[in-house]
Amino acid sequence: MKFVAIVGTNAKRSYNRMLLHYMQNHFDQATITVVDIQGIPMFNENHPETDPEAVVELAAAIAEADGVIIGCPEYNHSVPSPLKSVIEWLSYRLHPFADKPVMIVGASTYPQGSSRAQLHLRQILDSPGANAQVFPGNEFLLGQANRAFDDEGNLKDSGTIDFLTQCFDGFLDFVAMHQQFKKGDA
Amino acid sequence: MLLTAIVGTNADFSYNRLLLQYMQKHFKGLANIRIVEIDTLPPFSEDTPADMAVWRFKKAIQLSDGVIFSTPEYDHSIPAALKSAIEWLSYKSEVLKHKPAMIVGTSYGPQASSRAQEHLRQILASPDCDAYTLSGNEMLIGNAAKVFVDGNVTDRRIQAELEEYFVNFVKFIDQTAEGDDAMSMHQPYLDDAYINFPTGRLSFREVQQIFSTIPFEIDLIDHNDKFSWFSNKPNREHVRSVREIGEGVEECHPPKALPIVMKIINSFKDGSQDSVSRPLMMHGHRVLIQYYALRDVDGSYLGTIEFTGSVEHILNFYEQGAWSDAATGASQTDGTTGASEHAETAPDETPEPKPKADSSDGTSGASEH
Ligand SMILES: Cc1cc2nc3c(=O)[nH]c(=O)nc-3n(C[C@H](O)[C@H](O)[C@H](O)COP(=O)(O)O)c2cc1C
Ligand SMILES: Cc1cc2nc3c(=O)[nH]c(=O)nc-3n(C[C@H](O)[C@H](O)[C@H](O)COP(=O)(O)O)c2cc1C
Repeated sequence: MKFVAIVGTNAKRSYNRMLLHYMQNHFDQATITVVDIQGIPMFNENHPETDPEAVVELAAAIAEADGVIIGCPEYNHSVPSPLKSVIEWLSYRLHPFADKPVMIVGASTYPQGSSRAQLHLRQILDSPGANAQVFPGNEFLLGQANRAFDDEGNLKDSGTIDFLTQCFDGFLDFVAMHQQFKKGDA
Repeated sequence: MLLTAIVGTNADFSYNRLLLQYMQKHFKGLANIRIVEIDTLPPFSEDTPADMAVWRFKKAIQLSDGVIFSTPEYDHSIPAALKSAIEWLSYKSEVLKHKPAMIVGTSYGPQASSRAQEHLRQILASPDCDAYTLSGNEMLIGNAAKVFVDGNVTDRRIQAELEEYFVNFVKFIDQTAEGDDAMSMHQPYLDDAYINFPTGRLSFREVQQIFSTIPFEIDLIDHNDKFSWFSNKPNREHVRSVREIGEGVEECHPPKALPIVMKIINSFKDGSQDSVSRPLMMHGHRVLIQYYALRDVDGSYLGTIEFTGSVEHILNFYEQGAWSDAATGASQTDGTTGASEHAETAPDETPEPKPKADSSDGTSGASEH
């Protein structure tokens, strides 16, 4: 399977990026491409008049993928603006999320691990413009992310690794089920 | 009452902008509403330094008595552009802290940005924002294209709801007002106490009034680089608010002035300078800003004083030749000592500059009394 993993921030140093790279390196049941969003401008209804190149590319990558993983930080109890902006682009003229399985994970330097941002993100992806198939349950919340990784970028805690693996296995099943269902549809 | 109204979108055309413009007109008698746009702000990033636009935006919020957010709904939440603006306001900044906030919104469709408004309430309640959002009041205007006709709202029900909400917000601000209340008394707290200086004593009231009377205004940055006090002089050149007290130097100065200010402060700290003068034009007259290192008796650094005032009246003296006969030496001693006991020893000198003093006072200093 092929997944696109979106780093939900424009920050140079990001624990969410580390988390996605960890998944990329450790889960070989799927090919995970980690995508950064720094090159995507702030969403604006009027400017530019057509979708920026980076948006078109990301939309194409998502369209081709079997599923999307989003690493979602938390800013002010909600989704960071750079990630929200990307979703706005992808729910405006192009709609690559429509019917696409999406897994949400998140890391934060506080104990809650971006729990409130993840809830907002679920609601956002559920809106008609996005219309994604968000993988239910399986909330992966990495709190105190600043202490979670070793120098090689590996998660230190085995309980955390087990739970992430369990969530990811569940997502693989969810995607397979979704594809089965789509085939039945056709 | 000064309110800042934030247009919650960067779109060229916005019903939410129309809503704020309508409120600005409609509530003119109750409050002065200043509308600010967010499309000039850079997208928030932890790695992007705040620029002038961000600085001005933060100042506008800080100096207002309350904030009105008018938010569209994008994908069941607030637009990224508005989220980014709030991130700027909350990141290493406390301008939203305890700031009364009112949320309104309108949408083209029937949902009236209801879900975005809920998200916005949650966002403003997060610890880094900690705004005081008025609860229990909502303004949900759906089908905006039908409601706004030539920028006006004619629907009586919507008008009445908006009026009720706005009046509640004004009351709410009055209840939560802090800071400027103490200022409005224009009095020091202990007005019958005395400070005993080696050279005499002053009451707190006298200290306060001396600072209000001398024709220069004083701002103090303490030894921790915090803006800690300003003299309460009428008609100041630099308008200050007690809301700025306690701010770091980097917050109270615009980014482009900061390097110069830090250079001055650092030279005072390391002892390489004791004062810096900056002549400049402000509000159409000549002003001199002088920075002084404030030092303890042992020379250690206590802070930096910014001493600012119009020098028009001094320059007018000069331009009218007030010191021109100083070259003869007759008035030189008087000019340098200036103490009152010498005045009677040279009674013939005083009448001449006096009328000039009055006339030049009349042109520049009158408004300060
Ligand atoms: C503007 C801003 C707001 C933040 N608000 C929250 C918050 O509400 N809850 C939280 O858990 N962490 C918050 N944080 C801290 C982030 O969790 C922390 O910066 C984390 O490292 C972000 O994820 P990243 O490392 O992937 O960029 C905030 C950080 C910023 C810059
Ligand atoms: C990216 C995008 C997403 C939108 N999502 C929603 C939505 O979730 N709910 C809704 O009621 N309207 C939605 N709209 C429509 C807006 O409510 C409508 O454009 C409205 O006029 C925006 O407010 P404004 O006129 O102040 O810009 C969306 C518009 C855009 C461009």
